[in-house]
Amino acid sequence: MPRYAMVIDLQRCVGCGSCSISCRNENNVSEGIYWSHKITETSGTFPNVRFHYIPTLCNHCTNPPCVRGCPTRAMHKLDNGITMHDPNKCIGCRYCMINCPYGVIYFNWKDGHSAWKSDNAVIPGVTGSPADEVRKVGGKGAPYYNPERGATLPDIRPKGVVEKCTFCDHRVLRGKLPRCVESCPADARVFGDLDDPNSHVNQLLGKFRPFRLKEAVGTEPAVFYIRDFSAAGYPRTKGGV
Amino acid sequence: MNKFYLWIGLISVGILLGLWTTFKVYTVGFTVYAKTDVLVWTLPLSTYIFFSLTSAGLAFVSSFPVVFGIQRYEVIEKRTVYLEIAVLMGSFVCLLLHLGAPLSVVYILFSPNPASPLWWLAVLYFVYFILLISAFWRIHTGKISKTLGTLIFIIAIFSSTTLGWLLGMTDARAALNASFFSFYFPLTGLASGMAALILFTMVYNKLSGQETTTEKRALFNEFSRLMGIIAGMVAVLFLWRTISGGISSTAVEYGAFKHMIGSIPYNIEFWLGLVIPTVLMLLPKIRVTTSGKIVASFLLLVGMFAGRLEFVLSGVVRPLGQMAEGRPEIVGYMPTIYELFVVLFGFAVMLLIYSLGERFLKLEAIPE
Repeated sequence: MPRYAMVIDLQRCVGCGSCSISCRNENNVSEGIYWSHKITETSGTFPNVRFHYIPTLCNHCTNPPCVRGCPTRAMHKLDNGITMHDPNKCIGCRYCMINCPYGVIYFNWKDGHSAWKSDNAVIPGVTGSPADEVRKVGGKGAPYYNPERGATLPDIRPKGVVEKCTFCDHRVLRGKLPRCVESCPADARVFGDLDDPNSHVNQLLGKFRPFRLKEAVGTEPAVFYIRDFSAAGYPRTKGGV
Repeated sequence: MNKFYLWIGLISVGILLGLWTTFKVYTVGFTVYAKTDVLVWTLPLSTYIFFSLTSAGLAFVSSFPVVFGIQRYEVIEKRTVYLEIAVLMGSFVCLLLHLGAPLSVVYILFSPNPASPLWWLAVLYFVYFILLISAFWRIHTGKISKTLGTLIFIIAIFSSTTLGWLLGMTDARAALNASFFSFYFPLTGLASGMAALILFTMVYNKLSGQETTTEKRALFNEFSRLMGIIAGMVAVLFLWRTISGGISSTAVEYGAFKHMIGSIPYNIEFWLGLVIPTVLMLLPKIRVTTSGKIVASFLLLVGMFAGRLEFVLSGVVRPLGQMAEGRPEIVGYMPTIYELFVVLFGFAVMLLIYSLGERFLKLEAIPE
């Protein structure tokens, strides 16, 4: 059984957000919920400033505090290392959200895609309503509805339960890559088996010095980051007093 | 008679508002709360913690005669056990309105996870509730057995300390994470349990106009002094929590707690809930008066209520990981009217159950 992991090459990542958009399409993610997101930081003081961009998703930790704390095993580990969630067993206590150090678990405070249920035209007399758009394309909930998501999880998660990234387990089952990996125009995301010493993932982890988010909390994330982008240079100096 | 029905009518208004809130929560969604993805635990949950710890504290009090053999406390045993049930029902109401999918709680039975403190808490509270009902029935019809009383005492210890484990497990949120709370929770629970018993008994005595026996008066004077001492102990612990986690710690994870120091709930907890009751109950002239006892116990309960909110918020107001994207370092919280209705619902259910018991179940009676 493989043990899946992802390597994100920060030198290749251009911060285009295509991972987040394709994830939203693939998994029917509602507004306000981000299975794929980012952490941005600005360092320095003007004019010496720099922007940092770190794409984020569920880390599918080897030692996941969300799984340990879930009273009904709704949050559980699959044999292939994916941290999965069963909305049918979820009681909506949000303890997993409290336990997750990465803030990647979201709660459905209301029915999914509620903004698309509106019958009010965006510009009266000119455009249709969000509900018209959904009807026009034959979608369910949202115009970009993907029925394939329903293979392993409710296609649109109900109100009152949590949800998060599943490494596109429904695609992985069919031998496909997670959608964010497939859609990345810069090939900054590499997916593979940690237990295969020759996998692309292991090749990269052996070649570069990887880091993971908040390693000190001991969760052993399966999402690794390598390299960092910087086009900057500086004249050789020892500083001064 | 009329006053009683007027009181029940007032409570019913609270229950109706609570039912309206329940309807809104399950039709519109949890957006009726002051929801953000950061503030995942707020007033409904802190009220649940307040009630459940108060109930555990009452269980400690009810163990004085039956477990520890302090016979003079038998006179308050029946009222204490009944109040435990009423308070626990209030906590269940708040918990139900906190959970997103309460019907799925059956999976606590069918898909158990003993590694989860939350699972243990659910099991303990279920057993606790059953034992309390049987204990009250035994007291009502005769006398509670020592075995049953001891079981309740043990479960009250485990439920209040498991709550400390539940939060102590959250490595990501240092302000919640401390085994310290497995001690702090039962002690503060005992303080609020004693305050609840004193308040309800004193108010009952005042309203019923019954003459209190000298023994009973002496008992409550002693009990009030004990409450003052415990409030003082909690105040010292509270200060150490502030100093170690809030002032001297350099860990960024304590930012949320540092923010809470100086907040309204923090000051209510410390000054109104701990300092003033301690002072009032250590002054003999005030301690012996009914009004002094009512004021001190009421303030202590208000302080504990605010304290549970302060505690919950100190764990969540600082966003973690990607939740911090586009958000301020500390997210502000102001409860919505529906969250206040949840609190009202919890109190109304508790008061309704208690008032009916006071009226029909002779809570003054001493077990045979």
